[in-house]
Amino acid sequence: MVLKVFRWSPGSRERLQKYWVKALQGMTVLDALVELQRNSDATLAFRYACRVGMCGSCAMVVNGRERWACRTLLSNLDRGPVTVRPLYQFPLIRDLVVDMAPIKNKMLEMKAVFVPGRRAMDGDGFALIGSRTRERRAIDAAIECIGCGMCVSACTMVSHDPRFPGPAALNRVFTLQRDSRDGAHADRSQAVLAEDVLTRCHGQANCTAVCPMEISPTDSILALRRRAVLRLFGIGPR
Amino acid sequence: MSARRAEPVRDRKMLTRRMGSAEAWRDTKVGMWAWLLQRVAAIGLVAVIAAHLKNPFARPVQAALLALVLFHGLLGVRAILLDFGLPARWHRLLFLLALLVGVAAFAAIWRWRWY
Ligand code: SF4
Ligand code: FES
Repeated sequence: MVLKVFRWSPGSRERLQKYWVKALQGMTVLDALVELQRNSDATLAFRYACRVGMCGSCAMVVNGRERWACRTLLSNLDRGPVTVRPLYQFPLIRDLVVDMAPIKNKMLEMKAVFVPGRRAMDGDGFALIGSRTRERRAIDAAIECIGCGMCVSACTMVSHDPRFPGPAALNRVFTLQRDSRDGAHADRSQAVLAEDVLTRCHGQANCTAVCPMEISPTDSILALRRRAVLRLFGIGPR
Repeated sequence: MSARRAEPVRDRKMLTRRMGSAEAWRDTKVGMWAWLLQRVAAIGLVAVIAAHLKNPFARPVQAALLALVLFHGLLGVRAILLDFGLPARWHRLLFLLALLVGVAAFAAIWRWRWY
């Protein structure tokens, strides 16, 4: 099987390098890259940690779609050459490795950081929110974000407007705004009301289509927008 | 922790999804088509309405107007339903429904000659 892998390092020109790997049964894209690095090209750089679809560090763009390389079987891809690129919208470090800092920076910008509020503690320490409560179920899926960046890479609005915080940060904002223990709801809703934030999302759901944790950042953003609209009319929570 | 401005990434090399490349379109998702087609229909409407004002009785223009209004409007209804909280996982189904309802409504209205 032919693999075309994106190669670039500071000071050199970008190119797609062609490799040939024998696709064994059950081989994933990550397996193929490890194989190449071991046997044909030790200079090839990529990132992974868990190898079993948990950490998200192997996120890359395979055949035009964001996927985690360790969970993508070569046998599930088209037979033609398989192209492997780093995530879009992240500064490149080298080859398939990108700098994930924008995710954190956007979260800080949107104040997507937990701030203990008055209800954060009860008598026995941190206040618990039962797993079957309505509050918890509303954010059940959304809190599973592993920060892999695939949604940011897939979002056309992120590429259109660099100031748009993107799906990952807004999904985090949503989980915090629905957490009764958090004390910064007002600050945060001020932050998301800025230009280039909620209004930028056009609901194309590209983020939702690629999220490996089956989160729907689209739903999170739409929910934030509904709250913002209700607040415009002076009803509803922050 | 205080909020900081994101470091400017523009001066660092970054790949963006270039719409001119075949690969960007290779895995275009349904939601994006729905969005794009609705916008294209809107631009089409402006042209067709102008033609319609000039000659309200031209049948082809009437047909185009009806088709574009249905298409654009029903995709708009889809967007509104999603805005109002229908789960985003239904967005593909809603796209399909908008197309089907549009075709059915076009056929029904076109057959019903009102003059
Ligand atoms: S929302 Fe999904 S795709 Fe986006 S960073 Fe979190 S886990 Fe990754
Ligand atoms: S290496 Fe951890 S998800 Fe792929």
